[in-house]
Amino acid sequence: MIEYDDAEKRMVLKLVYYGPALSGKTTNLLRLHDLLVKEGRGDLMVLDTQDDRTIFFDLLPFFLVAPSGLKIKVKVYTVPGQVQHDATRKAVLQRADGVAFIADSRRTEAKNNAESFGNLERNLAIVGIDIDRLPLVIQYNKRDLNDITAEEEIRKVWGPTGIPMVPASALQGWGVVETFRTLVSRAYDNLDRKHAFRDTHGLTRESFVDRLASRAG
Amino acid sequence: MIADNEGRRRIIYCVGEERSLREVLSEAEVAPLLSAAAKAGLPGVHVADGEGNVLWGAAGNAAAGKRTAARTVRLEGEPAGKVILRTGTPPGGTEDALLSLIADALATMAHNNLKRMLTTEMHTEVVNRSYEELLETNRKLSASEQRYRELAESLEIKVRERTQELARAMTRLVQQEKMASVGQLAAGVAHEINNPLAFVTSNIHTLKKYTSRFLDMLGRYERVCEQGGVAQQDRDGLRKHREALRIDAIAPDAGDLIRQTLEGTERVRKIVADLKGFSHIDEEGEGPADLNREIERTLSVMTQEIPPGARIVREFSPVPVITCRPGLFCQMFLNLLRNAFQARREGLCVAIRTGVSEDRIRLSFADNGPGIPPDRRARIFEPFYTTREVGKGKGMGLTVAYDIVTSHGGTIDVEDTPGGGATFVVKLPIQRGCHDQVR
Repeated sequence: MIEYDDAEKRMVLKLVYYGPALSGKTTNLLRLHDLLVKEGRGDLMVLDTQDDRTIFFDLLPFFLVAPSGLKIKVKVYTVPGQVQHDATRKAVLQRADGVAFIADSRRTEAKNNAESFGNLERNLAIVGIDIDRLPLVIQYNKRDLNDITAEEEIRKVWGPTGIPMVPASALQGWGVVETFRTLVSRAYDNLDRKHAFRDTHGLTRESFVDRLASRAG
Repeated sequence: MIADNEGRRRIIYCVGEERSLREVLSEAEVAPLLSAAAKAGLPGVHVADGEGNVLWGAAGNAAAGKRTAARTVRLEGEPAGKVILRTGTPPGGTEDALLSLIADALATMAHNNLKRMLTTEMHTEVVNRSYEELLETNRKLSASEQRYRELAESLEIKVRERTQELARAMTRLVQQEKMASVGQLAAGVAHEINNPLAFVTSNIHTLKKYTSRFLDMLGRYERVCEQGGVAQQDRDGLRKHREALRIDAIAPDAGDLIRQTLEGTERVRKIVADLKGFSHIDEEGEGPADLNREIERTLSVMTQEIPPGARIVREFSPVPVITCRPGLFCQMFLNLLRNAFQARREGLCVAIRTGVSEDRIRLSFADNGPGIPPDRRARIFEPFYTTREVGKGKGMGLTVAYDIVTSHGGTIDVEDTPGGGATFVVKLPIQRGCHDQVR
C-alpha cells in the first residue's frame, strides 16, 4: 500500500504486473484499458519505451469509493522485463499489494519464466515483502500460439503452490480480465483483514471486484 | 534512507507516490498561459486545487450577474484541480471554449511533467542505487583486499620462520653428516692405527726384554775382558771400538728410549680410544650417558685447541645418568668449549660447572672473554650468525648446540660471567617428556 490517510479517508493501492521480457505485461494493461468500463479508471500512462520494450513502467489507475466514503485508488503497474532493469523492478515492486506474474507459454521461454520468477522472489525479499502473504496470480499468456507448454503440465507445476493460474491470450483479449479479477479478489482478502473493508467500509469482495473490473459494453 | 539488516544504507524509493497539481505544474509554466488567456479576453481566469484553494491567477470578486465556469484538470485520470472563470457571458460561447482549451493544455502539461518526473526520478533512483551498490562492492573488495594483504603478510612471516627452520635443520644435517664422516674417519684411522700400534708396542716390549739381555751379555763380555781373559792386543781393539760406538753412553739411554717409546705408544693408544669414544661411532642411537664423563672426554680431544697458559676449572658435581645420543652431546660440548677457548688469547680461564638444579641437570661453561652484548644475544643462536671475521667462523656452532639441547627438551641461554665474560647455561630434563620421547 502506497498511502492510507484515515483523516482524508483515502487509500492508494498498488498492483504490479511482473514477468520476463516480452511476455505481454504492457499488452495486458492495454487490453484492460480497452475491455473495462471507462467509469472508475484513468488513462493508461505508458512511459518511454525503446523498440516497443518497456524501460520504465506503465501505469493504469482505477478509482472507487466505498460506501463508507473511503476513496480507493488502485494503481496497476508493469515492470520492465529485461534483466538489466532490475533496480526499476525493485522500485516498482516496493510496497506492492499484489502481483500478477505474466509468464510466456512458449516452450522456449520456460527458462526465462523460471529466472524471472526467481528474480521476483529475490526482489520481494529485498523490498521486505513476504511472498507467502502477497496476493499472487500467475497468468500463462500467449495461449494462442503453437508450441506452448500444455496446460496440464503447467497446472502440475503450479497446482501444489496454491497460486491460481489463469491461461490467457492478451493479444486476443481473453484471460486478461480474469487475471485482473483474480488478483483484485485476492488482494481484497488482505485489505479486508487489515482494514475491515466489509465491516467498517461496507465494501464486499464482490462489489470491490466489480467496481474495479467490470467489462465494458 | 534506512539501513538494512547488514547495516548497509539503502535508498527506499517507491514508485507511485501521489502528487498534487502544485507538485507537477510550476508558476513559470502556468503564468504565461493565464496571461495569454487574459489578453484573449478571459480576465480573472484562475486555477484551484481539489479543495478549491487558488493556486495560480486571481479569483476576482464574485460580482453580480456573473456566473462561474469551471473545467476539471485530471491527473492520472483523477480530478486534481479546476480552471475557473467568472464571466458575464452566457454559457457555450467562446469563453467556455477557451476555458476548455486552457484546462486541456494544463492537463497535458501536467501529464507530461508527471511522466518526465517519474522517469527522471526512476533514473536518479537507478543511478543512486547503482552507486550504492558500487560503494558496497567497493567496500567488500577493500575488505577482501585487506584480508589478502594480511594473509600475504602473515605468509611472509611464516615463510621467513620456515626458512629459518629449514636453514637450521639443514645446518644440523650437514653437521651431523660431518660428524658422522669425521667419526667414520676417526674410527677408520683408529682401527688402522690400532693394529700396527699393537705389534709396535708388543715388539718394543720384546725389544726391551732383548735389549736388557744384550746389555747383560755385553756386561759379561766386559767383565771377562777386564779380568784378562782376552789378549792385550785384542783388548785395546775392543776398547777402541767400544769408545767409537759410545756404548757406555748408549747403554743407560737404551732403557730410557724404550720406556719413553712405550709411553708414546700408550699415549697414541689413549688418543685413539678417546677419538673413538668422542665420535661414539660404535654406538647406535641413544644410550645412557654420564655427562661429566662426556665433557671430560671432549676436553681430552681438544688438548691442541686449549690456548697455552689457559686455566680450565672443573667444578663437577655428580649428575644423573641420562638417556641421550652421547655423540651429539659431545658435539655440543665441543662447540661451547671451542667458543670459550677462543674468547681471549692470554689469561683465559674457562670454568665448567655441572650439577642438578630444580630437577634439571645444569651445565655451565663460563669464559672471561669480552662477553656478548645484550643486543646480540637474541641472534647468536641463528644459523650463520657470526661475529668473527669472514672465513674464521661459520656461525653454526651455537645453532647446532641450540638444536641439540632443544631437541632433547632442554634450554640453552647466555648470561654474563661475574667479572666479565660469557656464560652458556644448558639445562636438561632428567626425565624427558612424552613429546621428546616421540622425537
